[in-house]
Amino acid sequence: MTRIRLENVTKVFGPVVAVDHVSLDIESGEFFTIIGPSGCGKSTTLRVIAGFEVPEEGHVYFDDVDVTFKKPYERNTAMVFQNYALWPHMTVFENVAYGLRLRKFSEDEIRRRVKEVLEMVGLEGLENRYPLQLSGGQQQRVALARALVVEPQVLLLDEPLSNLDAKMRVEMREELKNLQRRLNITTVYVTHDQIEALSLSDRIAVMNKGKILQVGKPDELYFRPATLFVADFLGRSNILDGEVIEVLEPHKVLVRVPDLGADIVASTYNMIRGRVKIVVRPEGIQTAGFDVIENVFDAEVENVMFLGDKLEVRLRVGGASMIAYMPNTMRLAKGDKVKIHIPPDRIVALQV
Amino acid sequence: MKPRLTSNSSQDAEAGVRSYSLSHALFFGLIAAVIYYIAYEITAPNTPLPRARYGSIGGPEYIAWLIALLFPVLIFYKGADYSKVKFSFSWSFLSIISYIYVPMILLLRIPGLPRAVAILLSSLLAASFLYSADEFWRNFKASRAVGIKTPFSKRVRTALFRLDALLIVFITLGTTILVVFLLVPVVLILLNAFTPPVGEPFYANFKRVFTARKYVSLFRFATEKPWTFVTSETGYKTLVITGVNHGILLNSLINSVIVTTVATLLGVLVAFVLARYRFPGKGVIRLLAVVPLFVTPFVNSYAVRLLFGAQGPISWVTERLFGFDVEIRALAGVTIAQIMAFYPIVYLNAYAGFLGVDPTLEEQAENLGAKGFRLFRTVTLPLALPGIAAGSIIVFIFSLEDLGAPIVFQEQRLMSYKIYQTFTTEIGTTLPEAAALAFVMLALAVVGFLAIKSYVGLRSYAMVAKGGRWKSRERKLGPVGLILVYFLLLPLIIWTMMPQLTVIMMALNMTPANAFKPSLEGATLKYFLSLFKNPDVFIYVKNTVTYALTAVVFAVVISIMVAYSVSRGRIRVLSQTLDALGTIPLAIPGLVVALGYFYFFHRLFTGTALDPLSGPTTFQAWVVLITAYTIRKMPFVLRSVYAGLQQVHENLEEAAMNLGATRRRTVFGIVLPLIITYLVSGAVVGFIYVSTEVSTSITIGGLRPDQAPMTFYMMDVFQGGHLEGIQIAAAMGLLLILIQLAAILLIVVGLKQSYAFIGA
Repeated sequence: MTRIRLENVTKVFGPVVAVDHVSLDIESGEFFTIIGPSGCGKSTTLRVIAGFEVPEEGHVYFDDVDVTFKKPYERNTAMVFQNYALWPHMTVFENVAYGLRLRKFSEDEIRRRVKEVLEMVGLEGLENRYPLQLSGGQQQRVALARALVVEPQVLLLDEPLSNLDAKMRVEMREELKNLQRRLNITTVYVTHDQIEALSLSDRIAVMNKGKILQVGKPDELYFRPATLFVADFLGRSNILDGEVIEVLEPHKVLVRVPDLGADIVASTYNMIRGRVKIVVRPEGIQTAGFDVIENVFDAEVENVMFLGDKLEVRLRVGGASMIAYMPNTMRLAKGDKVKIHIPPDRIVALQV
Repeated sequence: MKPRLTSNSSQDAEAGVRSYSLSHALFFGLIAAVIYYIAYEITAPNTPLPRARYGSIGGPEYIAWLIALLFPVLIFYKGADYSKVKFSFSWSFLSIISYIYVPMILLLRIPGLPRAVAILLSSLLAASFLYSADEFWRNFKASRAVGIKTPFSKRVRTALFRLDALLIVFITLGTTILVVFLLVPVVLILLNAFTPPVGEPFYANFKRVFTARKYVSLFRFATEKPWTFVTSETGYKTLVITGVNHGILLNSLINSVIVTTVATLLGVLVAFVLARYRFPGKGVIRLLAVVPLFVTPFVNSYAVRLLFGAQGPISWVTERLFGFDVEIRALAGVTIAQIMAFYPIVYLNAYAGFLGVDPTLEEQAENLGAKGFRLFRTVTLPLALPGIAAGSIIVFIFSLEDLGAPIVFQEQRLMSYKIYQTFTTEIGTTLPEAAALAFVMLALAVVGFLAIKSYVGLRSYAMVAKGGRWKSRERKLGPVGLILVYFLLLPLIIWTMMPQLTVIMMALNMTPANAFKPSLEGATLKYFLSLFKNPDVFIYVKNTVTYALTAVVFAVVISIMVAYSVSRGRIRVLSQTLDALGTIPLAIPGLVVALGYFYFFHRLFTGTALDPLSGPTTFQAWVVLITAYTIRKMPFVLRSVYAGLQQVHENLEEAAMNLGATRRRTVFGIVLPLIITYLVSGAVVGFIYVSTEVSTSITIGGLRPDQAPMTFYMMDVFQGGHLEGIQIAAAMGLLLILIQLAAILLIVVGLKQSYAFIGA
């Protein structure tokens, strides 16, 4: 049970600022995810926590102990690498036992613990195989077992699921979540997959170009993105230009949207004025019932795609083109006219 | 250097503005060269030995240089785009050549057409320099613009964090060893080279090397003909081909340039045919083609001498056809022997290069309509060129430093022989002139090596792995092609492996020692067995094996330290220095090493048993030899270790450290076990190169004959002495061939790795 604190961490590679003044507080026992596009500095941040990189500026604390200049092998973190990094010349047992050997456990104890952890990840009976004899999913579990067996203070996961096929990924996602809950280890998870991030995490940090843009619970980030990048990166968004005309309530503003040819009521979580962008999630667009008058627009169907569990419909609303999700039972065709309604709490206005 | 303010795109947008490029710069160079050459032809007196033609012709020449150097600068400020010197494969190659060619012409004061070419190329030189300076300036500004200011103390702390006990040991030990045993000897050579005779300026030795007629003689006397017909008293006519003599320095250059050029053309041709065509017997030809790579010092060249001698097969043919014998001697012999011995180096590199070309790239070109020579010239060759260039430069260096052929052909007017003579005749004087010569040789080799290395580094796109292996394109050979292959290529390849066959036959007494007359009559294992039975001979075998084993152990240890520090130590400057130090011995001619070690132990260990001049009974040559072998042949081991470390993903080490393993434990428990096959194959290759080493063996070894290795004995045979020596030397050659064969089998079959010949 360890709290991790990053304070103003900056990491530079030549002319590239990989991590730019990042500060984070990760609570003990928390499943914390850093998400961002490739090259945004999320893996570097993780490697700073593991001790593989030393930041040019800033500090890393484990439970208020400054570990910035501690070597990786003095930190008691356990990392699962994207490519699993299993030693090909050692069997599964030897791979998993490696950390225990370093901690000078007795052979009996080692055997007991390895057996235990292999059972936990569902690999009992494969002790004497070599990594190259295992499937991708099995290798992934060995890597996880090797990390968990030493009972680390901190578990670090660097895109551990990205090399698995889609079905396997869903299975492992659930197992990972259950394991983490059970063991209650502070976990930092790095991914570029929004579904993984949203489904696994207690809290998520969105990163871009070395900077942390927003930290929050999954639903918070989804429903209340603080920046356009976050809105665009997590889930799909329709983004339109607008201008604040009037502040209605602390969290409600009236925005003039030229493309829609109308003024709409939007939610906001900051002080905003002047030119803004409004963000609407595709599922936030509803076919209008009769009881609402606010934020109702005429739309024309431009294109319909059947996605299985829903329809993805491209709508022309005034001068704007928007994507909306509709129930898969609806019968829509190009050229159909529909009335749509966007509830104010599903429209977020962001300062440009 | 001011940055260019206008970019090309904006320029193109302005209608009517011409954008200049490299060809415009070269155009001014051409004008300048023409001006110079016309002036030269007009002003130079037409005498048989036109002394006046040496060096500069004054006024008109200065104007020519001015035009060639100034106009590229002018049009650069007009916005010329010189990026081709870096990105075009032919332009960049040409500019690298000019970096060596132009200074050489100036130093040697060669007038006439070569100088006109130098003027032409100097425009390219100027352009290339401008581009590099401009690029450096832009990068410098870009890095300044980002600049996160980190306090110095923090930077030191960061650097220290990246090191740990083991890395510190590796880096300091590796660097110290390389600096002490590699740089210090070279510096001592330089010091000696700058020790002038009393009363002369400090550069006197270099001046002599570049101007004295003994070293540089631009004009041939009418009596010096490259070939002559000699009629013996009995009426036999013999065509004796000796080659030219332009003085020691030029001879070496001419020889090496010819050897490199011919070996490259030959190697590329053979490689292309073998890489791209399918025909019956191809596998056999591929195997035969590498036979010349079996190194058998001295006896090999001796076999070439026999094959091209008055009693050889060539003479047999010419006598029947034209009625005279052919004999190749002196420089011509050296050139022929070297071409035959070295062309497979290019062949192997080019072969790998052609196989490395992604076939889809060629298919795409064909798809767009390219075929035949055009396809080869525009796609295949540029992509394979880095490999070919790497092979060529190795040939150039090997040819420059080769001693075997010059000694066997008694060609003393070569740099290598001249330096070697220091040890045999002028020992004790520490001859500064030889030092100057050695330094020139070193400079030539190193500059060529570094130029090609950066060229290859810049252009290794053919090698970029795109995941998955491809099968190289192979086509069936048509009837004309088949005739060419069987009646031209096959005889050629068989001819180039003849020296090795002759050596084997001589060792087994299947041909007499003084002529090429194969017969099974006298066949005997006597000579081969005497290597082990005769104590006077066995001592050399024993010495070679002991030294090679010891040197290889050291080389492996140092290679591990260097390779690991370079690939994992994350302090750029240190890694790069160490990498350069570790690779450069490849480019240092053996004689330079020998001379350097001579100075090193003579100067720093004066009066001890390590001083080479302490006498043939007290001097402990083995210490010097093993040190020299270790350093000189380490790059071959190093390369193998590098290759191994590349296979080990850094994550594998991080995973161990993450679990609590220290660096030491990670290296010894994870890394080394993973690369063990690479270590072994590196060691095996190292063993081969050490056991066939010539330069230090016969020079340093020659100062203490009873501690000398096999190659010294083999040399001694040809410098006179031993009666049955030639057969025994050939038997040693056979032993070396067997060792090399065993090594290849061990690596390919035992370790399942590809056997990397030089440069490949």
